[in-house]
Amino acid sequence: MNTGDSLQKKNNLTGWAFVLLAVVGIVAFYFYPMIQALLLSFKSGVGANLEFSGLSNYKRLLVDTTFRTALSNTFIYLIIQVPVMIILGLFISVLLNDSTLRFRSFFRTAIFLPCVTSLVAYSVVFKYLFAPDGMVNQFLMGLHIIGDPIQWITDPFWAKITIIIAVTWRWTGYNMIFYLSSLQNIDQSIYEAARIDGANAFTQFFKITVPLLKPIILFTSITSTIGTLQIFDEIMNITKGGPGNATMSISQYIYNLSFKYSPDFGYAATVSYSIVILIIVLSIIQFKVAGDNKNG
Amino acid sequence: MWVLMLVTVLLLSACSSGGGGKPASGGDEKTNEITVWAWDKAFNVAAMETAKEAYQKANPDVKINIIEYAQADIIQKLNTGLNSGTASGLPNVVLIEDYRSQSFLNAYPDAFKDLSSSITASDFADYKLGPTAFDGKQYGVPFDSGVAGLYYRTDLLEQAGYKAADLQDITWDDYIQIGKDVKAKTGKELLSLDPNDLGLIRMMIQTAGKWYSAEDGKTPDIANNAALKEAFITYKAMMDANIVKLHSDWSQFVANANNGSVATIPTGNWFSPSVRQEASQSGKWAIAPIPKMAGQANSVHASNLGGSSWYVMNNVPGADQAADFVAKTFGSDKQLYQDLLNNIGAIGTYKPAVDGDAYAKADEYFGGQKIFTDFANWTKEIPSVNYGINTYAIEDILVVEMQAFLNGKSIDDVLADAQKQAEAQLN
Repeated sequence: MNTGDSLQKKNNLTGWAFVLLAVVGIVAFYFYPMIQALLLSFKSGVGANLEFSGLSNYKRLLVDTTFRTALSNTFIYLIIQVPVMIILGLFISVLLNDSTLRFRSFFRTAIFLPCVTSLVAYSVVFKYLFAPDGMVNQFLMGLHIIGDPIQWITDPFWAKITIIIAVTWRWTGYNMIFYLSSLQNIDQSIYEAARIDGANAFTQFFKITVPLLKPIILFTSITSTIGTLQIFDEIMNITKGGPGNATMSISQYIYNLSFKYSPDFGYAATVSYSIVILIIVLSIIQFKVAGDNKNG
Repeated sequence: MWVLMLVTVLLLSACSSGGGGKPASGGDEKTNEITVWAWDKAFNVAAMETAKEAYQKANPDVKINIIEYAQADIIQKLNTGLNSGTASGLPNVVLIEDYRSQSFLNAYPDAFKDLSSSITASDFADYKLGPTAFDGKQYGVPFDSGVAGLYYRTDLLEQAGYKAADLQDITWDDYIQIGKDVKAKTGKELLSLDPNDLGLIRMMIQTAGKWYSAEDGKTPDIANNAALKEAFITYKAMMDANIVKLHSDWSQFVANANNGSVATIPTGNWFSPSVRQEASQSGKWAIAPIPKMAGQANSVHASNLGGSSWYVMNNVPGADQAADFVAKTFGSDKQLYQDLLNNIGAIGTYKPAVDGDAYAKADEYFGGQKIFTDFANWTKEIPSVNYGINTYAIEDILVVEMQAFLNGKSIDDVLADAQKQAEAQLN
């Protein structure tokens, strides 16, 4: 062996040593619990009295109407809120990217600011804003848009709207930041050329901005989808899933199964795995629909 | 660097093999430090502080730490702690709501200390023994009474033409009629309800000695439960009569009482401090017995809402000391119960204490009514029911069906569907 080989070997070892720490951490705190949870999902019983029950939890999942309600609620949030959030974020970021706009950094900060507030704190504030005699109702009644207060939190339909408004407020700025940063990377000469060719702002947006932002839009839509599938804090703090399960999400159902009812951790793990499967399936679909196959 | 990594790996592997499930240490170990978990600073925590003072007079070396958590946090911490198989981080004494106690005793059979020989169970109100005992053993020290009363605004009801005597011995149907008159004369709603919380239904069916599940505490008893059916119909009648103001959380509920939006509040006696918050309404409130169900022959004018009891953890060092502490305070100290009434207004369920002076005190806020005497008398009549292990799980099913019922689904379908769902979901 020559010295070059042993140096190579040494470098490899050092590399592995650096990675090892992270690998051990990930295995211990991610993969081990994941496998434990999978095993747990085949057990049933109350609290600590768990025993293997085969597929019974998965069978129960198929006929569980509460799970179905939670699933459909979560999908309603997903279908309405993710597109609203992405379109709004895209729109605002294009406006704020205009170099002639004054107070740009103020607007950027203002729109990003909700993302740094605590989930619980903002949920509580929203709950009071949307209370029957809260500020939103008073404002709308003051403008004579509505005659009676809207039951934002105690009516099944409006409660969902309240949650969607809250989540949109919290996360739009987060997506906007991604769009803004990638907008800065688009060469201004492309727009210049387009303007010379007579393209108006509308055409520029759809023919240049959106296609060039496609990878970022894909990224934000996947992260938003994952975030929405795991939605918990807002619902727990604003509506507690009510009225009558009208706003309950899958995560909140998992919480209820583990802590609100007689603890059934086996079934709760089963429901958790349903989210895992959903996220995998939805991410694959999004990659297939929006992803650029040539770039992998 | 290698050393650091080696240490980390060792630490991690030690962590992952630690959850073997055996209790970390026995409960017999001698210690003079006791940790207590409870929620509600003004009520339960204050009661525990009073008990601590009383106990420390005789046992000055024992240190008692009282930690306040929200009830939801206590439930979460207990569940995760007990499931991990180690007792470290858990308290010696913990407060558990009566509706949940059977679920805990069922789920973690060896986690709580058997107090059968420390306290005399028969000294406590009968209806508290169902939730606190399990398998013939007494695990909990019954604490506060959730005895329910009908808080009402005397001035508003007078405007509608009702006197105190008109509120004695009424049914829920009479109550709705009163509500219609109040609405017509004063424009105020009769009561405030949270559509997510069926506490009112719970109070109604307990007056008839019924619950969501059968005597065994497990079998859902919904479809053929006549009391539950009548309660549902009464609830809808209230909504249809347009006499209900909706609230979505506790602070709005209290606000509706304090700002004069509603004329009555049917709820547990622990609500008194919240009513008292509004000093300007002193003398305008009184408390009547809870209405009974017209269609249920055995329905009485006494019911319960909430209430909780103290439990000693078995595997936490100091269990014997902790058992001694609760037995000598909440388990037997008559004077303590007088202090609890005088200082906090907490009504205990310890029978021998009921004839003390504090119970006979007239309360100026409630127009000179001896409210503790009344509550204590009603406590004796509360029908005993087994809350079982599924109260909140069934209630979540019922809340959904209640919404369907209010929207026009037939009552028989509502109850039959709820029964089917409960049977499918609960084990």
